[in-house]
Amino acid sequence: MDEFAPLDCLLPSGKQRIGLVILNQPIDEQFFHVLWSKAKIRACADGGANHLYRLTEGHRESFLPDYINGDFDSILPEVKTFYTEKNCKMMETSDQDLTDFTKCLAVMVEEIKAQKLQIDTIVTLGGLGGRFDQIMATVETLFHAQKMTDLPVVVIQDRSLAVLLKEGRQHHLNVNTGLEGKWCSLVPVGSPCLTTTSGLKWNLDNQVLTFGQLVSTSNTYEDHDPKEGRKPVRITTDRPLLWSMGIKPQ
Amino acid sequence: MDEFAPLDCLLPSGKQRIGLVILNQPIDEQFFHVLWSKAKIRACADGGANHLYRLTEGHRESFLPDYINGDFDSILPEVKTFYTEKNCKMMETSDQDLTDFTKCLAVMVEEIKAQKLQIDTIVTLGGLGGRFDQIMATVETLFHAQKMTDLPVVVIQDRSLAVLLKEGRQHHLNVNTGLEGKWCSLVPVGSPCLTTTSGLKWNLGELRACRPQVFPSTQTPNTHTHGHPRGMFPSLHHPLCSIY
Repeated sequence: MDEFAPLDCLLPSGKQRIGLVILNQPIDEQFFHVLWSKAKIRACADGGANHLYRLTEGHRESFLPDYINGDFDSILPEVKTFYTEKNCKMMETSDQDLTDFTKCLAVMVEEIKAQKLQIDTIVTLGGLGGRFDQIMATVETLFHAQKMTDLPVVVIQDRSLAVLLKEGRQHHLNVNTGLEGKWCSLVPVGSPCLTTTSGLKWNLDNQVLTFGQLVSTSNTYEDHDPKEGRKPVRITTDRPLLWSMGIKPQ
Repeated sequence: MDEFAPLDCLLPSGKQRIGLVILNQPIDEQFFHVLWSKAKIRACADGGANHLYRLTEGHRESFLPDYINGDFDSILPEVKTFYTEKNCKMMETSDQDLTDFTKCLAVMVEEIKAQKLQIDTIVTLGGLGGRFDQIMATVETLFHAQKMTDLPVVVIQDRSLAVLLKEGRQHHLNVNTGLEGKWCSLVPVGSPCLTTTSGLKWNLGELRACRPQVFPSTQTPNTHTHGHPRGMFPSLHHPLCSIY
């Protein structure tokens, strides 16, 4: 059984030890500060560095990533110069078959091993907005990630979080951090998924989720006694299944 | 063989006769005006009306949709009142199993039949941004749309366009409108797709595309896709503002 609290990473008091990846999308400032201060390793994928640079103006030296990777076609020259001069590891990864995000994760997994870091979750800022093919590429990276590491890889942008649930497991998602928004969703992105859930308003009972027939969006959590808190959402699936959820506006 | 020019709809001189759907996402003003003026039928799905209302301030009466549908949990009261008073058809569609977008398309398909409109393409503004589950729901709607109509349903937001290609057809995408951006993509949402292409920088030759595979590419003519269980899902980019 896999117990996991997806939004724990955004709680300043959260238990998960995290690695942080910043992609080339606008960064939510509040999320950034919580995640940055908790992260044991921090990286930018190419143009993610531009957003970091902009957001940390005035204090840039306090917010240096451990490395920046990519084919460097998005990072601005002044940004690249700045972080190079500050001795951030600049890793030109020019493999054209893999995206900067995938490569960034690959490096992070290696660094975690090499430095023997205790990490529970890799959290990504960005990836769910902008160019549509790149949103799809984020999903693809989550598939690759499952082959690279057992660590959950969570993607956050705006008020959405997404994580790919592994097949053949019973997942228990803790949704009681207080940061949960009102919607959640299960999307069989790569193939039909035989799915059973509990804890949702509209549960699945050994049903096949598949595009064109049944996809769970705008779902929500089952009613609960406010004094008791929500029961975990339980999900089993026979194929990788994309869970996403809303984050409460702060 | 299906010949189709995805970005023709954004050409003022384009040939396609279109129906227009506006979803609950920020509207690109330039695209809006081109599409609105060409459309033979125009609708808002719920909160789409808020964006229409805001965008057309000062000239609202010149931009009245034929109908607004949905469960009306997103449309603002003043917006609802305004369009009701202007006699736009307000269609409360409270089916909880289908999204406002799906229901809007269903109504449009019926209206096109009932009014005997000559329509080539249904163009949607919005759907590819915002809440992540709603982006996924847009994709789901495109699957439903294939069962509702033979008309292509194109979705445009920001600088991205998406359309679901039907299985078992040879698709010829005309990408010479001059509006094409530099990237395009084929994504097998929902199942593996046995695919062949030509005209892309990185073509597929009888490969099994198992999971979503993104092929960054420059534009070209002629993309042939033999869908296997499902259609493929190309996205094309429009460069009017040259963001990328």
